[in-house]
Amino acid sequence: MPQRLVVTGASGYIGARLVERARQRGCEVAVLGSAPPGSDVTAVPWRLGEAPRLTAFLGASAVLHLAHDWASDRLHGTAPENANLTGTQILADAARGAGLSRFVFASTTSARPEALNAYGQIKYAIEERLRVLPWSEGRIVCARIGLVYGGPERAQYALMSKLATLPALPMIGLDREVQPIHLDEVCDGLLALMLHPPLGRHAVVIAGTRPVTFGAWLRTLRRARHGRRMLLVPVPIRLALAGCDLSKRLPFVPTVERERVLGLAGAAPMPSADDVAALGLSLRDPMRALRQSRPARRRLIAESAALLRYVAGRRVRSPGAIIRLARAMRRDPASARALPWAATRWPALLRFVEPIRPAVQHGLARRLHLAAMVAETLPAQRRWRATWCLRVTVQVALEAVALPFRFVLRALTA
Amino acid sequence: MSDPAADIVVIGSGPAGVSAALPLVEAGRRVVMIDGGRNRDASAGSPWHRMLGAHLEALRPDDGLSPKLRTPEARRLLGAFHGREPIEAEDFLAIGALGRGGLSRIWGAFVCELQDDDLQGWPLTAYDLRQSYDAVVARIGVSGSHDDDMAAFYGYSDALQMPPPLGPTAAAIFKRYSAARPDPEFALGRARNALITENRWQRQSCDLRLGCLWGCERGAIYDARQDIALLRQYANFELRDVTARRLVRADGGWDVITTRGDRLHAPRLVVAAGTLGSLRLVAPLLGPALELRVLNSPVMAVPLLVPGRLGGKLPDAGHSLAQLGFRLACSTKPGDYVSGAIYEVAGLPPSSFAARMPLGRRAATEIFHALAPALAIATVYFPGRYSANTVTLRPSAQADQAPDIEVRGAVAPEFDEVARTARERLARIWRRLGARPLPGAAFATAGTDAHLGGLFPMGLAAPHGTNNYGELHAAPGLHLVDGSALPTIPSKFTTLTIMANADRIGRYLAELA
Repeated sequence: MPQRLVVTGASGYIGARLVERARQRGCEVAVLGSAPPGSDVTAVPWRLGEAPRLTAFLGASAVLHLAHDWASDRLHGTAPENANLTGTQILADAARGAGLSRFVFASTTSARPEALNAYGQIKYAIEERLRVLPWSEGRIVCARIGLVYGGPERAQYALMSKLATLPALPMIGLDREVQPIHLDEVCDGLLALMLHPPLGRHAVVIAGTRPVTFGAWLRTLRRARHGRRMLLVPVPIRLALAGCDLSKRLPFVPTVERERVLGLAGAAPMPSADDVAALGLSLRDPMRALRQSRPARRRLIAESAALLRYVAGRRVRSPGAIIRLARAMRRDPASARALPWAATRWPALLRFVEPIRPAVQHGLARRLHLAAMVAETLPAQRRWRATWCLRVTVQVALEAVALPFRFVLRALTA
Repeated sequence: MSDPAADIVVIGSGPAGVSAALPLVEAGRRVVMIDGGRNRDASAGSPWHRMLGAHLEALRPDDGLSPKLRTPEARRLLGAFHGREPIEAEDFLAIGALGRGGLSRIWGAFVCELQDDDLQGWPLTAYDLRQSYDAVVARIGVSGSHDDDMAAFYGYSDALQMPPPLGPTAAAIFKRYSAARPDPEFALGRARNALITENRWQRQSCDLRLGCLWGCERGAIYDARQDIALLRQYANFELRDVTARRLVRADGGWDVITTRGDRLHAPRLVVAAGTLGSLRLVAPLLGPALELRVLNSPVMAVPLLVPGRLGGKLPDAGHSLAQLGFRLACSTKPGDYVSGAIYEVAGLPPSSFAARMPLGRRAATEIFHALAPALAIATVYFPGRYSANTVTLRPSAQADQAPDIEVRGAVAPEFDEVARTARERLARIWRRLGARPLPGAAFATAGTDAHLGGLFPMGLAAPHGTNNYGELHAAPGLHLVDGSALPTIPSKFTTLTIMANADRIGRYLAELA
């Protein structure tokens, strides 16, 4: 019989993917509150703070509580009236009353009493409240989730993605360590907590096992998605908070929440290797995972088409060839750096930036070589035999024009 | 635990393995052959499938030197070999194949015999190999010519088939040569390839479709898998899909321990895993630390431009194996010559050439296409005595493991001078034949030629030497029948000789009680 899981916050960044993955594994899912858009799961009307109808738990074995009321944080802060505090306990009691054996609470790696942001303090307070429940042991587990990336650009991943589009960024907390983990890995970890025997711990850390500084993480995001570098300028925390306040008052400027800034400034890593291993997760290298994200793919496809066009000397209309080259470039670490923007747009410009020595080790030369390999699998181009001499002359002349630029470029990059 | 099901276990299903196995099987000996793997054939499908591989395994940057090594088939075979206990190599390309048919799946198919002059330093004469040469040539199917200047050099086998037509560029060079011999010490003639031009058992003749490099669907080019089909007709032959990991002396014979952990027992072993593959297997039997030599043929590729062909048409029919073969005597000493082959570029991938041209990609590709009808490539092979590669065996860091193997590539001190002289003389000859050597001539990294040998030389008295029948002095009952047992590597292509030598040893073992 398939296991039935109850999920709150199912329309969120993590929730939507989790429901999808749970159902792929053959679990039945009932949603409390709003269902993921476009999904046909059973949704039971519910709001945080209410006790759900008992029928919602019928036949279920575990509850995952992902929902979080941000408005209540703003309104009440860490005061006991915060709906997240009371609501979680009501939900947990209801689940227990319905005879469920597992309650998984989605917490955060910033959950600690001394957290700078309200979010971390509240999550910690909820964890503590759940811990002292008389039936807590072996039934309640708090999943402390790290910095989640991947999948659709929502929640804080949307913000990170937006930041990664910028060539330069003044930022706070650049030296704080974060623990990035892919959305799919988080979902698998949460599912493991619900479906498998308990680990015997009240709090389990589902976060990247190798902490990286926030600055390094932003650079990784930018490099993987856009193939470019990022200039980061450290900003003192006070200045950043003043900026947040200012952003609220200025029209046409996106508002930046103090909460986010404080969350970053207070980030500190938690050891996660044991928990991740116990959950049976093997974490992907974020760089590799990110290079499969949609913007990264789109960029590669555009570059692939440009390289093929340059090498073949004509527009290549075979989508198969373009995709094959993009695939080869994606798995080739030497081609992580993006082409100059203008060269993607006007491939003929590649002649001016091509490395002088045609060694296939260099990034661009390597990609051009791959492109040439793909181009020769295409049907042969008709060439006028009579004009061979003219064609050679034209090419030699163009080379002569381009050569000084390439020399200058080599001198600049050396 | 032991498996006494065979009189002889043959390790390796390449040209040497099958050549040694055939006389044994024909004589009624029970033979078990083991080889490294399944038969994944990728020659079918759309062009990109054949050229890049279904999983794009061949869409990786290569050094652009040898188009032969960049095909999906080559990457799979060589990759599988490398995947197992890699051989450390410096200035050397450690080529070995793990898979049914071995390197014959990607070879250049040039075949020629060694004469007495070439066999100096061997405990054999051409007479000892005569019967085997004939048998192998008759079996694998060879096309070539008996009436040009190279015929005697390549050997007079009776069973030659008609050569395929020459490509236009090669024909232009050959015509000039036939009209006026440019140098008394230089000879040029039709290449001799293991390419059939008449149908035979389970194989179709060459249909001149130019796709040779990417695998011949018709089986026109010899490939040891064709002989495996022949061997499988015999009830006393068995082929097993396991890789040998270790050889252990046991019960007056040998146990082959496979990577799966099972044992195969036989009174005698025939090791034909390819020179470096055999080295891997035999190294643990030679003691913990040892320095050996390995010979290769230093090889140079020279692009030639035949101006008379500029503006001509690139042929749309033909083959991309060698068109012509040549020889240039270096001195009056017997056996002191360089030899090589001339290829046309139709059917070869332009990117491999464009990568080596001192131009941008676009210009290089366009110019290559414009010049292609007039281009030919000459490969020049130098005798193995000019190679000075060393193989070092070191005890492994982990106990009970095979020793670590390190190959270091080098050439003899006099080689630069020899190469320069040969290159200059050949350049003069090319010009007289109406061809201009283009800049961009290059020596391949040692080992790229895959003409390896001299590791366990026949006739050498040292423990790592072998007797006339490839039997290792340090390991009686173990016969090396591949390139590793050749005492010298001449400038000629050695595959046919390796096969003939394996056949000879096979015949000898068949007669043993």
